[in-house]
Amino acid sequence: MSGDFSRRDLLHKAARGTVLATMAGGAGFLVKKANGQVVWQVDAARCLNSRLGEVGVAACNLCTTECVVSLSAVRAVNEHSRCGRCNICPAYFNITSAVDQRGLPSEKLCPRDAITRKPIGKADPEDPANNFYEYVIDEEKCDGCGKCVMQCKEPLGLGSIALKIRYNRCVDCNRCAISKACPKDALVRVKRMFA
Amino acid sequence: MEYRQVAAIGGKGAGPGQFGASLRGIAVDAAGNVYAANDSQITLFDAGGRLRRRWSTSQPVHSVAVAGDGAVYTGQIHQIEIFDSAGTLIRTWRDDALLGRVTAIGFVDGDVLAGDATGRAIRRFDSSGKFRNNIGRDNPLNGLLIPNGVVDFGVDAHGIVHAANPGKHRVERYTPGGELLGHIGHFHGTDPAGFGGCCNPTNVAVRDRIYCTEKAGPRAKVYSFNGELEAVVASDVFGANCKNMSIAVDEHGRVYVADTVKLAIFVFEPVAI
Repeated sequence: MSGDFSRRDLLHKAARGTVLATMAGGAGFLVKKANGQVVWQVDAARCLNSRLGEVGVAACNLCTTECVVSLSAVRAVNEHSRCGRCNICPAYFNITSAVDQRGLPSEKLCPRDAITRKPIGKADPEDPANNFYEYVIDEEKCDGCGKCVMQCKEPLGLGSIALKIRYNRCVDCNRCAISKACPKDALVRVKRMFA
Repeated sequence: MEYRQVAAIGGKGAGPGQFGASLRGIAVDAAGNVYAANDSQITLFDAGGRLRRRWSTSQPVHSVAVAGDGAVYTGQIHQIEIFDSAGTLIRTWRDDALLGRVTAIGFVDGDVLAGDATGRAIRRFDSSGKFRNNIGRDNPLNGLLIPNGVVDFGVDAHGIVHAANPGKHRVERYTPGGELLGHIGHFHGTDPAGFGGCCNPTNVAVRDRIYCTEKAGPRAKVYSFNGELEAVVASDVFGANCKNMSIAVDEHGRVYVADTVKLAIFVFEPVAI
């Protein structure tokens, strides 16, 4: 009897231990995978829209058209610490459109109106040019078409806007459709790191 | 008014009279000699574009100007090195607070003006290097709007300082004491009379007129003191990615523009029509 119990107990404990070990291992694997997960990302130094030296060409929108996600997983992201906070931002305005009564371009650049412009601090009513402006990209609207990225890059802008894959949208399909279409091989595999 | 290109000085390379990696500032003296602030040296050419001499500066040099007595002032990070015309160091002004990145130097009423891109202002010093006042600093934005990272200006025959304020698409006029007198210029994306892009003009020179350069697309233009566009000096000749092209004018009206990509100084002269 005691021998049977012992065997049963031993088997039970062993089974439970195996399950726990598997769960722990699985959790550890998931954490490790998330921390060092190899994911797709856009290399700004290769991307046609942000790489230096490409001027006078149309913005590439393959990130928008090729992604398997219905509204692409790629977004334009403004790195505010690099932004010039200009009164007339070429990524916000269509700078070749007619000038309005305020002396500003009359049209916006973004086809989805995804960028907002607001003065930092109190705008000078006598001279609106007398101010810095913050440009914020609404990621619910942005589809990564790259037009603002192309207009922001040096030498026209300061290159503060770049295309980024958002991992909450990317399905990590491994055979990233954008990477196959990208003419500059700008979609690269990188380790995803958490702070 | 039209201009034609008459010379190209320097160019990228390691040979005599060529520039290695950077060409950030140029100046022309009364005799027509051309001074280039390139890499960590000053390169001096005669009026015909022939190399005369070159000498090293202690740091990378961001600007150059020639005083009436022939002394050569060179703008660097946190300091101005002053050389005689032979290239011998006379003295160094160092000021970590008032001299950040010195991207322009000029002279007015015996004083020295330094464009401090770090402080987004023009600093006025007396001839001994004692600070007197700021120009372009006292406004709600605490300085000139220079996303390009360069403060540049010129001084006219009446001692008025004409400073580029590219974020406002203007050239502003100041007294040496720092009082804002007015401005020329406005934004326009297609009309050459306006300044395009996010932030132009980037660089300014003044003699009988206001001369300035723009980036994206790079070009040099001439305005009257009333702000009327008189000429587009050139556009196609410059490297497409040029920015912050230093500009100078000699007493014959020849315009010198530093191409920051080709590392060459292009010289243009007015053509009688």
